[in-house]
Amino acid sequence: MSTSDLATSASRDRKRQDSALFIPLFGTFLFLSPFITVFTGSATVFGLPLIFVYIFGAWLGLVVIARITARRLDKS
Amino acid sequence: MLSLNTLIAASLGYAVLLFAIAFWAERRAKAGRIGWLRSPFVYTLSISVYCTGWTFYGAVGSAARNGFEFVTIYLGPTLVFIGWWWLLRKLLRVGRTQRITSIADLISSRYGKSTTLAVLVTLLAVIGSTPYIALQLQSITLSFSVIDSGGNADLTAFWVAAGLAAFTILFGTRNVDANERHHGVVTAIAIEAVVKLIALLSVGIFVVWGIGGGPAEIFAKAPAEMLSGDNIFSARWVSLTMLSAMAIITLPRMFQVIVVENADERHLATASWAFPGYLLLMSLFVLPIAIAGNALLPSGSNPDLYVLSLPLSQGQNNLALFAFLGGFSSATSMVIIAAIALSTMVSNHIIMPIWLRFNSTETETSGDVRTILLRSRRLSIAGILLLGYLYFRLTGGSGALASIGLIAFAGSAQIIPSLLGGLFWRGATRTGALLGLLAGFALWAYTLFLPSFEGSFILSQSALENGPFGMSFLKPSALMGLTGYDPLVHSLFWSMAFNIILFVFGSLFSTPRPLERIQSSQFVDVFRLDKSTGTYLVSRSATSEDLFTLAQRILGTDPAHRLFTEMAHQQDKTIGLPDATDKLVQTLERQLAGSVGAASAHAMVSQIAGGGTVSVDELMKIADETAQIMEYSQQLENQSHRLEHTAQELRAANAQLTEMGAQKDAFLSQLSHELRTPMTSIRSFSEILQENEGLGLDDSRRFLGIIQEESERLTRLLDEILDLSHLESGRGKLPLEPIALQEVIRKSLSATGALLEDTEMEVILDLPKAPLIVRSNFDRLVQVFINLISNAAKYGRGDNPALRIRLTAKSDSAIILLADNGPGIARTDRKKVFEKFTRLSEANLAGSAGLGLPISREIMRNLGGELSLLDSDVGAAFRIALPRNLE
Repeated sequence: MSTSDLATSASRDRKRQDSALFIPLFGTFLFLSPFITVFTGSATVFGLPLIFVYIFGAWLGLVVIARITARRLDKS
Repeated sequence: MLSLNTLIAASLGYAVLLFAIAFWAERRAKAGRIGWLRSPFVYTLSISVYCTGWTFYGAVGSAARNGFEFVTIYLGPTLVFIGWWWLLRKLLRVGRTQRITSIADLISSRYGKSTTLAVLVTLLAVIGSTPYIALQLQSITLSFSVIDSGGNADLTAFWVAAGLAAFTILFGTRNVDANERHHGVVTAIAIEAVVKLIALLSVGIFVVWGIGGGPAEIFAKAPAEMLSGDNIFSARWVSLTMLSAMAIITLPRMFQVIVVENADERHLATASWAFPGYLLLMSLFVLPIAIAGNALLPSGSNPDLYVLSLPLSQGQNNLALFAFLGGFSSATSMVIIAAIALSTMVSNHIIMPIWLRFNSTETETSGDVRTILLRSRRLSIAGILLLGYLYFRLTGGSGALASIGLIAFAGSAQIIPSLLGGLFWRGATRTGALLGLLAGFALWAYTLFLPSFEGSFILSQSALENGPFGMSFLKPSALMGLTGYDPLVHSLFWSMAFNIILFVFGSLFSTPRPLERIQSSQFVDVFRLDKSTGTYLVSRSATSEDLFTLAQRILGTDPAHRLFTEMAHQQDKTIGLPDATDKLVQTLERQLAGSVGAASAHAMVSQIAGGGTVSVDELMKIADETAQIMEYSQQLENQSHRLEHTAQELRAANAQLTEMGAQKDAFLSQLSHELRTPMTSIRSFSEILQENEGLGLDDSRRFLGIIQEESERLTRLLDEILDLSHLESGRGKLPLEPIALQEVIRKSLSATGALLEDTEMEVILDLPKAPLIVRSNFDRLVQVFINLISNAAKYGRGDNPALRIRLTAKSDSAIILLADNGPGIARTDRKKVFEKFTRLSEANLAGSAGLGLPISREIMRNLGGELSLLDSDVGAAFRIALPRNLE
């Protein structure tokens, strides 16, 4: 492995770790007021209240991102 | 309608099934077929012990009353788990390296293995958990009462508690080592996790699509204020999310499943997304069930039981039974794990220290500590469940229990500042942790826990309403006149604020003890320290026999034997006990900590090892912050030094190679010159002979003589070159035999006799009488001597030429000196005499090919001896040294 490969893989590892550190902060931002109050209107999506769709959608999104990150971190 | 008998039969059958599964898993693990028993998904499912009966039934109740608020209880843990890289990873690593057995053990171990802290955290955990266990008993009896309202709740609760105690004692105290996994329990918990998830999902699917007519229909029935949530996403929302995030780490049972029962750190990577996914599924149908319950069930029904009463009201008895089992699973799994965690804490941190104090002499002499340890754990389990049952009896039926879940969360969250500070802040001290914990717990108890009794316990009704003794600024729900906040937010604010402030200031204004400093770097730098960087815990006055006895009595004979054999191997001892080194003491203490907790293990080992104090010398070795950093930078420096050194060596080697190349070139040009001279004369004379036919016979003879002479010289030269290259390569080993050096010298002198006579050189011999025998090669030695003697005869002639040869014997070598009294060799030329084809000043070595001395030196080298030129004022003096070993 040449030095440039090493440098790339080191920076990739660093990025994975950074993203693992950032996800919970992002999640906190999504779920805490005031941002969450943006979605509390009376609008509906397919008959479901927007806030319900938002909370569970964001939740699912976080689970998916966490899974991708965890797999990458596990590999490196 | 379900009959009570069906219900009892179902729960008994389910319990038997769980016993069977636990038993089977335990046997499988014992046989070494661990396999999926320790898969990351079993680990994830075991963490779902977070979802208790309170969340199974209570989440729907909470949603019916407060809409979305129930989600916070799941969002906090979700954030903690997707942020595992921050905290959980470190917590697990510390738990593993320090062999942590409980949350109390962790705090105690971090702050210098303090017994005080361990006792404090244990007591607070028991205080916080007892109502929580009671809550689980209540949720089970409540679910029974839905079926049979006339039943005896107390009796049900008693039998449930007794059954749970039996299960926990049977499967939770199999090993002394609390750090080992309880495979049976964990497997049973994982099964229960699946049952409760599927039960809740089934009820949800039935409610939404079976009776509700689809999700849109259900939400259309919801009152507007339930979903709008303008007042929900407030300080309480934030507080609850934070609270549940803290509780997922500090609740004793959560610490037990996440850290203590963890089998592989890598499982955390899977749990980091799978557990949030589990929580998502658990909460997905909570709101629809709550809405449907509000709309369909008669007003006045208990929202906490919608999960059961909705299927029942629709005549779905099987579904109701399944839901009941789900709730049963949630409640029982919580109680089992909490009982294991608390019993470990109580027996390790309260019973063992007391026992140790009263039996300090016995620790060293007799008795199997293991039986005492197991007995105390079993008693603790029974005691804890009894406590939960009594609490249920005393407060049973009162509405106060409903909020107990959050109150327990808030209580256990008080550990967070000491925990996070301990993991990330090197300066956190025992004093700080003690002050912070005491203040936090006191304020929590005063503002939240005691008021939950509504005036029946310690704080009277009037004290709750007007403050104690009428001091209104001390009113528990409005401390310092802080009003207008939710009681939970109010309590959390005061307790956390004082907890953190006292923790920080206490740490800043106190000096950590040596052991605290060691532990702090062990915790904070857990990813930077490798295992070998040890701690220097005890001054070494222990004998390994004492330590071995102690290990046998706590770990058992075989494990102790294994441990000590391994340590002996590491010390390169094949038999006997290992030496009582720091490392042995430290390893043993860690092993013991896995059974009895850090503080007790430290106390036991110290009792034997003497004092447990850290000496000044050892203090110097403590790797605290600066030492760590210095060590690292030094390592880097060393590395660059090494690199520089290597580069230097390479440069030197390169210079040497260049020089050798130049020498080779010079040698080749010299060689061709040397060969050319005889060749030229041979060719010229043969041409003359060929072209001048009238040449006289005498002339022809003379010319032919010259040609022959030159050919011989050429042959000799080539022989010499071949000989030299053969010797230099060192390929041909010279055969050795015992020979007398006097004999060699005589033979050489007779061979050079004619030359010496011609040059009228006198030879002065100084030889010992007794033959000096060395092991060497006769012919080659003669060759060297002939060379040196003829050189002296040819070039070393002065007035009255004389050659002095002296042979002396030393203890390990024989020395021969050959000195002539000729012009000698110029000081500047002395280095060059051994180089090939060296021409010194013309007068000295005219006409010679100059290979004699290099060959001689090579021969001596091959014979293991040495030929050197001595500094001398008159003439040239050579010295020959030969080893005298006769083997």
